[in-house]
Parts: sequence; C-alpha cells; structure tokens
Amino acid sequence: MSPSLKQTTEPDKVRLRIYRFDPAIDRAPRYDSYEVPHTPRMRIMDALDYVHETLAVDFGYRWLCGSKKCGTCAVNVNGSPKLACWEEAQPEMTIEPMDNMTVIRDLVTSRDPYEAFLAKLQPLVIRKREYSGFPEPLTEADVASAVHLRDCIQCLACQSVCPVLQQPDSGFAGPALLVALSELSQDPRDEGDRAKMAAKEAQVFKCVSCYECERVCPVEIPIVGEAIEPLKRLAYREKSTPGARRAGAFLDSVKKLGYVNPSEVALKTQGITWNGLRLAFRMALRGKIRLTDALFKRPSPGAETIKTTYDAGESR
Amino acid sequence: MVDVLETDVLVIGGGAAGTNAVLKAADRGAKVTMVVKGLLGKSGCSIFAAFTPYFQKTDEEIRRNRWRFMIRYYNHYLADQEYCARMEDYMCTEFYPDLERLGVYWRRDAEGRLEMVQARTRSLVAHKQGATGPILMDKRRREIFRRGIPVYEECAVTSLLTNGERVVGATVLDYRRGRFFVIHAKNTILATGHSDYLATRATGTREQSADGIAMAVRTGAELANLEIQWWHVSDVLEPKSWMRYHLYPNPLMGTLETSRLYNSQGEMFYEQKTHSPGAAAPYTEQLRRLALEVAAGRARWDGGYHSGYDHIRAETINTYQHQAKVWSKLGLDVGKDRIECGITWHMRHGGLNVNAERMETSLPGLYAAGGVGCHYLGGFGPASFDGKVAGEAAADDALASGRKPFSQEAVAVEEKRVFGFLRAGSDGPRPIQAKLRIRQIMWDLGYVKNERNMQAALAALQAVREETVPRLRLQSTTRNWNTGWMDALDACAMLDACEATVRSGLNRKESRGPFYREDYPYVDNENWMCRNIVKRMNGEWQSRTQPIQAPYLPPEKSREPFFEADY
Repeated sequence: MSPSLKQTTEPDKVRLRIYRFDPAIDRAPRYDSYEVPHTPRMRIMDALDYVHETLAVDFGYRWLCGSKKCGTCAVNVNGSPKLACWEEAQPEMTIEPMDNMTVIRDLVTSRDPYEAFLAKLQPLVIRKREYSGFPEPLTEADVASAVHLRDCIQCLACQSVCPVLQQPDSGFAGPALLVALSELSQDPRDEGDRAKMAAKEAQVFKCVSCYECERVCPVEIPIVGEAIEPLKRLAYREKSTPGARRAGAFLDSVKKLGYVNPSEVALKTQGITWNGLRLAFRMALRGKIRLTDALFKRPSPGAETIKTTYDAGESR
Repeated sequence: MVDVLETDVLVIGGGAAGTNAVLKAADRGAKVTMVVKGLLGKSGCSIFAAFTPYFQKTDEEIRRNRWRFMIRYYNHYLADQEYCARMEDYMCTEFYPDLERLGVYWRRDAEGRLEMVQARTRSLVAHKQGATGPILMDKRRREIFRRGIPVYEECAVTSLLTNGERVVGATVLDYRRGRFFVIHAKNTILATGHSDYLATRATGTREQSADGIAMAVRTGAELANLEIQWWHVSDVLEPKSWMRYHLYPNPLMGTLETSRLYNSQGEMFYEQKTHSPGAAAPYTEQLRRLALEVAAGRARWDGGYHSGYDHIRAETINTYQHQAKVWSKLGLDVGKDRIECGITWHMRHGGLNVNAERMETSLPGLYAAGGVGCHYLGGFGPASFDGKVAGEAAADDALASGRKPFSQEAVAVEEKRVFGFLRAGSDGPRPIQAKLRIRQIMWDLGYVKNERNMQAALAALQAVREETVPRLRLQSTTRNWNTGWMDALDACAMLDACEATVRSGLNRKESRGPFYREDYPYVDNENWMCRNIVKRMNGEWQSRTQPIQAPYLPPEKSREPFFEADY
C-alpha cells in the first residue's frame, strides 16, 4: 500500500476580503482584500494566518488550539459560520465576524453574553444525594442519549444563525446553551430542576425548530432532535410558563380535534384577556376565524386515527 | 495611576494546574484571583490531554510499570521521585473523585466497568481518546465561574512585581481593551504550562509565548532543565494549522496496536511493540529512529514520512479516537490511508526550579505549578496535583501573613515598556516578523544540537533582540485587541525564554531523552542526572547543578551511548 496524499484539484490562489472594524476608531466597517497562495489542504485559518504572518497585517482574529478543540475561531465565511481551523479555504472568501455578537475588533467577538447565560443554568451536575465515590455506578447506556452532545466545543456558530436570537431581548437561551442544559437533563446523576430551567430561564419553547443550528454545527450535533426536543418534552410539564401551556394546548387540540384550533390554543396559553378578545373579534370580522369554531369544536373526520397514533407514540 | 486589585493568591494560567490551584486555594478560604492569557479552560495545552492515567496500587505489576514509565520513559530520570510517590497517592484518591463529582463521565462499558487503555499501564478516557482534555477543562471552568472567583480572561501578565525580596503580584494587560493594571497579591502561582509556540512547527497554542518562563528569567528566578525539550514525531504535516494533531504512537484504546511510522520508501521504521517493547512512552525512541532515517535521506524533519493506523480495524479507531475525524475530513480512509507527518516542538521537561513539596520557587512569594516547573514533565493529572499543592501552600501562607508593598517605580517602568511598543509607522519591522524569525531560529536549531549550532542560535536571537525589537512598528495604535501590540510583547517573552533554553542546552554536556547533542552522544547518569540550573541576575547569566536523588528507581546504567538507550 503506498502512502497516499490525496490529490485534489486545488486552486493556486485564495482571495480574501476581511471585515475590518474597530469600534473605538472606525465609524463604519470596511473590507480589506488580500491574495494569498494556496497551500496543500489549506484551511480557512491557514489563509488568515498567512495574512497575519507573511503579509504582516495586524487584523484582530481569535484562535487558540487550531485543532477543533477550543471552539474559538468560528467566523462567517461567505455568509455562513465556519470553524476556521476545520473547514477548507475557498478560492474566494469574504470573512466576517459571526452574527448576533458584539464585535471587539475585526473578527473578534465577545463571548461574555454566552458565559453569563450559561452561569444562570447552573451548568454542572446538581446532586442532592452525596457523591458515592469513584467510579460511581453508571453504564454506557445510562449516558448514551447525550453522546453527541458531549462533542460540543461551544464555538457558538449555532447561536449566530438562530433566528430567534436575532430578535432583540428574545430571552431565549439559544441552541448552544440548550445543548449544555440538555446534556445535564439527560444525565442520570443530575437532580436539578432542569424542566423549570428549560421552560423559564432558557425559554426552550421559543425554538422554532428551523434546524439552522444543525446546518452550521461543525461537530455535527443533532441539536434539535437530541438536545432541544428532549428538553421540550421535559419542559412541557412546566404549566406555569406560557411556552409550556402553548405546547400543551397545541397537543391537546390536535389529539382531541385532529387539527389546531387557534382560539383554544390562545385561551389555554393566555387565558381570557381583553387583548385576546379584541383580537379574536377583529379576526372574526375579517373572516380569519369563525367564532363558532371556538364555541363548538368539532373533531375532524380522521381525529380518532390521529389520537390513536399519538397514544401509540406516547406509550413507546 | 494604574488600578490596583488586591488578592491573597494570584494564579497565572488557566490550564489543569491553574484551575486546580484556584479551586484548592479558595477551599482554604483565601481570596483568589485568576489571570488567563487565552480563555479559561480553552487555551493552553491542557485541552490536548488525550487520556488520563489510571493509577492503581493494588496491581503490583501495573504499578511497577507505571513507575518505570514515570521515571525512565517520561522523565528520563529527571523527575523528583519523592514527588512521584505523593502524586501517585493523589491520583489514586483525589483526582478522579474531584472531577467526577463535577459530572465528568469517564467511559464505561455496557456493564458499567471503566473502559481502559490496556497497555503496560492503564489510562481512562472521557468521551474519546483525544477529546478528554476539553471535557475536563470545561467542568473546571464552570466550577470556577460557579464559585464567582474573579477571572481575567484574554489578559496577559507582563511582569512579576517584587518588593526587592519577594514576589508581590503582577502587572496585567487586558488586550481586549488595552487596560493596564496591577494585581497586588500576597502569593503568586505561575501555572503557564510546558508547551509553547517557539518553533516554526510547534504544538503550543497561539497565545503560548513562554511568558511564564520569560518573567521568571527577568525576575531572577532559577530555571532548570529547560533544554529537555520534547519533539513530537507523528504530527500532521498539512494543513499547517493541523500540526497540533498528533497520531498517537502510545497505546490506543480498544486495541493493543499503536500507530506506525513509514519512511519515504514506504518501509516501516517505527512501531512501539517492535522497536521499543519496553518503552511505555515511545516519543524519544521515535525521534532517534527518525534521526537515522533523516540522516539516510529517507525522511525530512518536515515531511517525507508517514504515519497511520491502517493496520488496525477502522471501526476501532473510529469508535475510540478523536483523531479519526482528521482522515474523514481530508477525504481519506483511516483503515487504508496514511498521513504525511513532520516533527513539532511539543513540551518542555524543565521549568522553574521548585521545591516540589510546596511548589515554592527560588523567589519567596512565587510558586510554580504544572508543566512550568522542573520536577516532572507534566500531564493533566500531575499538573492538577501541583495545582492543589501550590494552591494550598500559597493560600495557607497568605492567610497567615501580611501584605508587602510593591514598587510603584517598577510598575511605571513596566507600563512604559508595554506602552512603548504602541507606536505605529512603516519605518520598521512588524512584531509578527520578529516572532516568525525567533520561531525559525529555534526550528533551524532543531533536534540535533552541538556547541556550534547552539552558539549560532544564541547569536541569531541576540540579533533579533538588538536589531529588530528596538525598531518594531505597529500598523495601528488601537488599544482594542491590537494583534501587533500583543505580538511585540510575545516576541520579547520568546527571546528571553529561548535564550535561557539555549544557554541551558550549552551547559548540559551529555544527551538525554529528547535532548540530543552530537558532540556528547551518550547518556551520563553519573554527572548529569541533575537539575541543570540557569538564572539571570542583573543581566548576567549564572549556572549551577543540583543532583537528583533516585530513592525508588535508580538508572540501570551510569553511562550508555545515546542511540543504545531506550529512554
């Protein structure tokens, strides 16, 4: 067997446009362009290093380990977040700081909001019983459901693309924090009230399951399926929060009627409110809803089948 | 007037040693402050921990092998053996419970038994081999934040402060914002690690410019065995940023096999079980074998040879090895393909001369924990032990003693030095160019050393110091994350650390472990099983040696040809 260096058609040059912005000095961001020679198997970081080192440009960028462990080098490349040390350099790259973050300088963004939110979630195993000593009784199966969540390197790429986090003051934790919380909630040793944290502090029901976080995750964590959905199932019991009530009402409506009855969901989530009534009245006037549906809820023809399917799913 | 923060214990460095020092000092009731040049638990080499050694006293044979590993193969008879005995106790009783209590999951099988790397010694992995470090550090980071201990991240300590007699804190530059301040401490613990980015190819992470070693040099602390510098042989050649991916030549989880090395002709020239069956840490043996291949023109230090796991079932590698993803990302098959490698400057055995019972250095008020000390090579477990010892000793002493003033004048001098680099212009070299030059000098010096090439390296470093550094100019004078400014400070630290390292190498008249001198090609346990110490006082370099005792495991031969030794 011959030693193999896989031959691929690699470009000769890499063209970079790098976002430059120093909040202390600049009024607006600008882009500086550089051309660097392509090297074998070049990563995005190798191209950035070339600009910093060989071209001696002092732009700000953050990286520590260069080997997909520290998760500090994620930047937007042609509009999408990439771990610079991990992804291949493209022939043409516009490199910018990730979205949803405050720029310190150029490509460097603040991680402080993430750390502050993480601290609120009490992100270590909460024990009520005394620790029994090493090794405590555990099997691989006990922790298997969270195996992919342990791959998270907190690069925050997922936070940067989350549409809910783009809303100012959404209160939503975001995917990276939910991965951390979900791992703890699935740990058989943890006795913290993770359901409450998921519903109240993390506001897990604000997740719209758009799967953007999964699309950009460099370590390929099934974030929605293995972190967020299990948290939603857990938080569903927290009826004191509107998110959980809405999820419950949604489910009840479908189970009972075979479709989503908006007025029922609204009533169960918010109760009877002046605003709610006004909205319902105006929607009825414009033919968006029928008030009769709110009063006389009729199951759809296939409702029984839907209920059976749900029950079968829940008993599994 | 610069801001002054008061604390009992200042911990510099956010790896395995620093984090445990902080936690244990806080447990004793001391007020602790931490400064990390990168990000706590994300920078430095602790996140590179592949696995953690599992110490057992119950199995005599494994214990004997562990001691041979620690003393002979890992430390080349330069470890403090009494320290090893205490560290063994810690590893048997405290290390695992401390981390498991925080929620670390060490891999188990379906019946709940710990899965182990089954070599002469035993090791455990959290998650996967190669992914253990990030998980352990993540838990420590969260615990430190949970306790509300003040942590200054992305802040570089630029100098140690003294009152003429003892170290009483440090000056710090927050390079996110360019804020310069003083941390006034009763005791200071240096925990800056053993891995630095000092050569063109190195495993040290971006921020690691040997600041701890450099500050110790400038403050007149004693440093020992700096020249015993590990090079890793089986590190990925391309892409360059992946030089920190190491294809483990030491035992793997899930198999008794290890990686193999092949020369440019495709001939296997090293695998542990064939070429050094007794060695538990085959790094020095790999280096010697590669040196022979390089001499014969069948490999280069930077490529021309390959490593891989293609003789091992791909499923095993994929199940247990974090590094397996290197293959898949490059579109290669871990079961078939090999990867071209080059050597990297990896870690330093030596460091500050410490009394390992309390981790005190030669300067009162200054402690050293982990790889920055000289008593043991390092590693996640031992560094954690050091952190505990230093943290407790520094805290107890601080709680029993008063605060000593620092020199305002020294702060002013240091502030002037630090801000002196903040000058822009195009009439001088950029700081990064000085850094690259220093790395090139140390790379050119490389593994095969002699009097002549070490003198040449010293002269070349001196030229950078005298001709380049005074002319450095930045592109911008911003105080927000000014990369050029940081590079200038880094270059100065690198110069001091590299000069101390080369001088220490000139003093050692033998070869040992990863330190090879062509002009002294033998291991000389009679004269050089010692701490080879240098220090700089008022610009003058001084040296002395201090013998190392071997109460538990003495070397078998007093002298042997370097290429015949297996350690």
